[in-house]
Amino acid sequence: MLKIKKNIAISDSGFVFDPGTGDSYTLNPTGLEIIQLIKSGKSYEEILQEMSAKYEMDGESFERYFYDFTSMLKQMRLTENHGED
Amino acid sequence: MTKLIFERPIIQQINAGLPSKYGMSHKLEPISHIDNVSIKSLIESYGSPLFIISESTIRKTYKNAFRAFSSRYPKVQFAWSYKTNYLNAVCNVFHQEGSWAEVVSGFEYDKALKNGVPGDLIIFNGPDKSREDLAKSIKNSSLIHIDHFDELYEIISLTKEIEVKPKVAIRVNMDTGIYPRWDRFGFNYENGEAWDALNRIMANKKLDLLGLHTHIGTYMMSTDAYKIAASKLAELAVRLQQKHGHVLQYIDMGGGFASKNTLKGAYYPGTDTTPSFDDFAEAITSALMSSEIKPDNLPLLILENGRALIDDAGYLAGSVLANKRLADGRRATIIDAGVNILFTAFWYEHDIRPVEPVSEQTEDTTIYGPLCMNIDVIRGNIMFPLLKKGDQYVIKRVGAYNNTQWLQFISMRPNVVLLDANGKPHLIRKNETLETINSQELTPEHLKNFDL
Ligand SMILES: Cc1ncc(COP(=O)(O)O)c(C=O)c1O
Repeated sequence: MLKIKKNIAISDSGFVFDPGTGDSYTLNPTGLEIIQLIKSGKSYEEILQEMSAKYEMDGESFERYFYDFTSMLKQMRLTENHGED
Repeated sequence: MTKLIFERPIIQQINAGLPSKYGMSHKLEPISHIDNVSIKSLIESYGSPLFIISESTIRKTYKNAFRAFSSRYPKVQFAWSYKTNYLNAVCNVFHQEGSWAEVVSGFEYDKALKNGVPGDLIIFNGPDKSREDLAKSIKNSSLIHIDHFDELYEIISLTKEIEVKPKVAIRVNMDTGIYPRWDRFGFNYENGEAWDALNRIMANKKLDLLGLHTHIGTYMMSTDAYKIAASKLAELAVRLQQKHGHVLQYIDMGGGFASKNTLKGAYYPGTDTTPSFDDFAEAITSALMSSEIKPDNLPLLILENGRALIDDAGYLAGSVLANKRLADGRRATIIDAGVNILFTAFWYEHDIRPVEPVSEQTEDTTIYGPLCMNIDVIRGNIMFPLLKKGDQYVIKRVGAYNNTQWLQFISMRPNVVLLDANGKPHLIRKNETLETINSQELTPEHLKNFDL
């Protein structure tokens, strides 16, 4: 399962700081919600359930956006590099 | 409980110390309406993509340009540059405002005649006028702007067959301090060729020499260049009067004023840097007024501006087809308008906006057209909000040269609608269909059938 690196700081306003590289990022509100759900250890199915209870959306687009988003997190090296070692 | 609108999740790196290009926020205000008409409803009725032209904007821009000149100079006349946009409805808006026609081919000439422009109010420019074109325009008393000596002698030879005296001007090219210098059209000023041509016309006596013409370039940002050009033409006019006692009726300064579009690679947006009509008018009219031309002989000033008069009135609206990530992680958004219908994407960093409000978050995005070609790039790098498949966009300032240079390629050229002064849409050019294309083709008998 996808894990956010432990040392990454995420503020309630959506500001993200990676002390390892010094890089910072911003999240939009849905990005922030999703990253917090990932951080709390929820699976994709659980996240989908929570989000569709709250938002007007279809599962198919959510799936696309979710994986696009998490691929960005990987690219920015904000996730544990599981699978690679 | 009603559910909230879902916005796609985004994360974006903050580049400290790297201010945005113009030191402004990246937020792109959506454009939902043109002249109070909803773009969404226009796309629903006329399809996607769709060219939308604002009649009010054309009239407003024209009046603004005309006022800039007529408030500074006694005799001013615009001639609409057909090549810039020769949709008949667009031409006729200009003709209703008082513009003559400026054409550069037999096809454009006939189009202007068919629109109802009197032959003697058509200016015929360019290097490509056939003997038939010339004969027709002589009979119609059109204003023939001679481009080269071969054309001059063709006209002289036609005077043996046609009773009407041809009305001519010569096109002059010159050094105005700008680069590239357009020296391939007309007769050169500095090397004396233009003066030579004028003397030959005067000596011949079979031609009616009415004016001088120049068109120094296109997307010109320098008003000084126009000042220099006007002074040089005025100088020729004065010499004609001194040597031959001949008074010219007009000086035609051509077109070329930059529109407010931003050129590729420009550091500042065109909206900040493009000189106004007043700036251009001041440069040109002050040069003419302060020349040695006698006040009683001040010639009519003709202008043939294209892009500066029509760019702002044209919009291209359409829909997002897909999003993807490029190999380096950058976002690519694919829209349903390609460079084949938006030719000016090769020159301009077009201002493209979402139609509906979306996230304030923007991301470095490349906007591609739908063609299967690498060159099909509408915007190389733009901080753009994330539009979903099906979301709509609108591109501003596309009125010049796109509806004339567009190519039918892979898909059909789309509908063009004109919004009249009351915001009522009128279809002014129908989209092409398979039948349009096939109706031009002939398949030889032996190629009509095959077995697979
Ligand atoms: C002779 C002549 N007049 C007018 C124009 C219109 O130019 P612009 O659209 O730059 O004003 C052109 C365009 O190339 C031209 O060749």
